[in-house]
Amino acid sequence: MIRMYVEIAKKVFQNNIVYRLDYFAGLINALIVILVNISIWKAIYEEEEVLGGIQFRYVITYLILGVLLQTIFMMDEYLIEGKVNSGLVSMDLLKPMNFKAYILSHNIGVLMFRLIMQFTPALIVSMFAFGLLPPFSLLYMFYFIVSVVLGYLVLYNLNFIIWMTSFWFYKTFSLVTIKDAAVTILSGALIPIWFLPEKLVNFIELTPFGSIYYIPISIYLGQVPPNDIILSLIKQAFWIVTLFLLGHILWKSAAKKLVVQGG
Amino acid sequence: MKLLNNTFDTIRLFARFTKLNLKITLEYKLDRTLTFFAIFCRESVNVLVIYFILKKFISIKGWEMNEMLFLYSFLFLSYSLFVAFFTGIREFDSVIYSGEFDRLLIRPVGLLTQIICARMDHCAFLGHGAVGLILFIKTSTSVGIQWTPTNILYYIVTLVGAAIIQASLFMLSSCFNFWAIRTTNLRNMIFFNSRRFAGYPISFYPALIQNLLIYVTPFAFVSYFPAQYFLRKPELSLFWDGFLYMTPIVGVAMFALVYMLWKNGLKHYSSSGTSMY
Repeated sequence: MIRMYVEIAKKVFQNNIVYRLDYFAGLINALIVILVNISIWKAIYEEEEVLGGIQFRYVITYLILGVLLQTIFMMDEYLIEGKVNSGLVSMDLLKPMNFKAYILSHNIGVLMFRLIMQFTPALIVSMFAFGLLPPFSLLYMFYFIVSVVLGYLVLYNLNFIIWMTSFWFYKTFSLVTIKDAAVTILSGALIPIWFLPEKLVNFIELTPFGSIYYIPISIYLGQVPPNDIILSLIKQAFWIVTLFLLGHILWKSAAKKLVVQGG
Repeated sequence: MKLLNNTFDTIRLFARFTKLNLKITLEYKLDRTLTFFAIFCRESVNVLVIYFILKKFISIKGWEMNEMLFLYSFLFLSYSLFVAFFTGIREFDSVIYSGEFDRLLIRPVGLLTQIICARMDHCAFLGHGAVGLILFIKTSTSVGIQWTPTNILYYIVTLVGAAIIQASLFMLSSCFNFWAIRTTNLRNMIFFNSRRFAGYPISFYPALIQNLLIYVTPFAFVSYFPAQYFLRKPELSLFWDGFLYMTPIVGVAMFALVYMLWKNGLKHYSSSGTSMY
């Protein structure tokens, strides 16, 4: 059973290789975003090592990790919309597989491709050219990886809710774009959360956004005390379960109302 | 007299097309309103980043919040102006590959006129325009600009020049379509990354990038130099004074060159054979 989904992920991986050039462009994009961010923060710090109690190298590492994680957290946002609009979704439902597991394995194929073709080269460049700090300790490195996986799943389940709306709306471009904007600002992917106003941070604490990028990156930097790490991971898990259940309810009612015009 | 008549005809044609394009957009009112709002949100993200950083740090290399946002407003307003007239050029590959271009070729009106008239992306026009306008209104009075007639004239001419610079970059990429070479991804990468740089004063960057933004993809003339004309930050001594007035010149010169190339490319055009009309 699992084998089938692995095969799907593999196929998606191979399909992506055909569009190598697009991913090369994505890699360049990531490096340029890092370069722009570093230039700006260099201008802010102006030769100072520490500003507001935060070291320059910490900020740089935070920003680089934010961009690197963004490259692998990018998912196929219009996969379900395309299937609903073309009617192909009915074919997928007839196949002896779980539709939701199929969507997940598709995105894992994309993830693996981006991990190898974009994340790894960008990571190597960042280590040598941009001064990326190593993880706080080996143990923290392990927690970081766990937390990244959880962060991916938080974002995946949040995205899944948006994707499900394509069963009700013909086009989901606007919802996807608004969601992206909210995630970019509130998850701390572009600007370290500790620089945001306190009120906004308190709000973010109550939402799933902080669980996507901020928790993994602060673990990497060693800013989470050892006793609080498990708590942070539980918080991420809580959001995965909550968003998953919401998405599941939407999926159930979507499957019920699905009308295909012949395909 | 003939010239005057021609100009008059073109304007009438443009008005007619504008009306038709507006009707297309208004056909899907809810979807287009949401799309406009989405673009507005997407473009606000980078503005919010600047806002939060400067709220925390007050100023970067002597640039304060309002000055920085004033600089950013040039990017949005000029892009909005560019989209208002050159959507057809921005989407030129689809004009070619759908066969729509063949239709334009057999009509007794200039090609560029038709392409300018043919399409209009209202959502991007309004989305970018709204962000730009909000920034402009918020900052134009608070950064100490005397809005004398000269300054107003400079502002308008420069904004048009900045839009033409961006149009030229898109038009350059569209030339390749005549040889059936797709450059959309490459173009977007070069264009939008240059634009990303230009959102901040170019003095923040290493010299190599500064030179790229002045001589290769001249986005420095879209935001930095126009903003500097009004703000006169002391760091201006890094650059030649004349750059402040170059935006319209760079725009017109680039456009003239690219238009010649485009005309040349047109001779090599052979249809994709997919005309459906």
